Amino acid sequence: MDSRNIQFMFWGLAVAWGLLAIYVVMLAARENRLQKQLESLKRMLEEKQ
Amino acid sequence: MEKNIRIGIGALAGLLLLRNLYVILFNLPDEMDQGPIYRIFFYHLPAYFTAMCCYLAALAASVLYLTKRDLRYDAVAMAATEVGLAFAAVNLITGMIWGRVIWGIWWAWDARLTWALICWLVYFGYLMLRQAIDDPSERAKNSAVLSIFSFVSVAITYKAIEWWRTQHPGPVLSFRTGKQLIDPGMERMLYANFLALLLLAIVMVTVRLHQETLQRQIDGLRRRAHAL
Amino acid sequence: MIFLQVALKDLRSELRTKESLNASLSFAVVILLLFSFAFDPSGEAVAEFSGGLLWLVFAFAGALILNRSFARELPNDCLEVLLASPVSGAQLFLGKSIASFVLLLGIELLCLPIFGIFYNLTWTPRFLPLLGIFVLGTWGLTILGTLFSALTVNLSLRELMLPMLLYPMLIPALMAAMRLTTILLSGNDIGGDDLVWLRLLVGFDVVFTTLALALVETILVR
Repeated sequence: MDSRNIQFMFWGLAVAWGLLAIYVVMLAARENRLQKQLESLKRMLEEKQ
Repeated sequence: MEKNIRIGIGALAGLLLLRNLYVILFNLPDEMDQGPIYRIFFYHLPAYFTAMCCYLAALAASVLYLTKRDLRYDAVAMAATEVGLAFAAVNLITGMIWGRVIWGIWWAWDARLTWALICWLVYFGYLMLRQAIDDPSERAKNSAVLSIFSFVSVAITYKAIEWWRTQHPGPVLSFRTGKQLIDPGMERMLYANFLALLLLAIVMVTVRLHQETLQRQIDGLRRRAHAL
Repeated sequence: MIFLQVALKDLRSELRTKESLNASLSFAVVILLLFSFAFDPSGEAVAEFSGGLLWLVFAFAGALILNRSFARELPNDCLEVLLASPVSGAQLFLGKSIASFVLLLGIELLCLPIFGIFYNLTWTPRFLPLLGIFVLGTWGLTILGTLFSALTVNLSLRELMLPMLLYPMLIPALMAAMRLTTILLSGNDIGGDDLVWLRLLVGFDVVFTTLALALVETILVR
């Protein structure tokens, strides 16, 4: 076994976790953005009424 | 309430993933021929199964949309497809890293790999199509049809290792071969990690669905703001 | 047999203006010529990439024709009238597929001799099996392409979206057709292990024709 074997194993596991983490971050960012939009819209409507 | 259930399942998935990672790294021995690199397999294959489950859910939701014409099913199809693409990306990239060590190349154009890539592109096209259509029911209808078409490539991907002689390893799990080709402990771990990733996927899909509801609320409020 | 009338209508209007026919034929020839700069067209290896090259050209030319298939009905709201007429969606779709199929097959049969001349290949000895592959591959291309043409007809990005959706899903058929065409053009017969590609091509046609005929009604009806 060359040293690359175990090195690439870590890379592989890191990619698996990393990609899913990126997707989770993307979801969280979208959630935040949507919540903010919703809040500001609600506030705007209340002010107008 | 709904949010608490989501957090609960998410926490469960996270704990299970961490526990699995510990067992994979420290309790399971190296594989005889491949050495440590084989551990990638515990993510490669479960991620693929999870992606298949997502695509299957998208297919079911698309068929349900076409029969019931309820936009909620359309949202399910979209959410499942998007999450499925994330897991399919994990599958593809971990597979490439494994191939670099075992085969010496990042990518081999054999049937299984090619079809897995086709699947990814086809479902990516599905999301592109959704972005291009503005009218919700028109978008739901057209993308439901496209989703049904896309599933053909998923089915072919699943069978590709039996139909063609591929560089990609053939079936190893006992439910497909009928024999015990790999160590039972390792096979158990594959299922355990599949369960963890599937739970994670379910949480992701529900979060995405919740965001669609938010989006609809926002659109409704926007219309009201315009009317004022 | 209403679908034949739809096909004849499409063919007649296309032959009158020849707009997509001329465009895609000249496009195909230009690509054939361009490829000759990318590879050495006089080399021995030419037969080995002949199938891939031909089918890429056909797929590009096909997208041009298929783009017009439903879009040609947009001016004067012809599509609405066709849908309101007693012609069923499946009949309309089948007619349009047949029209595109005939046009594209015609272009392919014109390209083949040009290809043979420029790349120094003999295609005549195995013309009939080659024609069979062309028919199967082109049918797969047009049935899927016409469906996606219906799917994207109302989009502003229609010209972009059609190839983006069509090509990935078409890969199975293209791969099979490329492989089989290469075998025939290198002077071999199809047999043994290569039959899996023929099965794939026929299976692709059957599966997608069935799916398309079953689902096209839902796409067209608004």
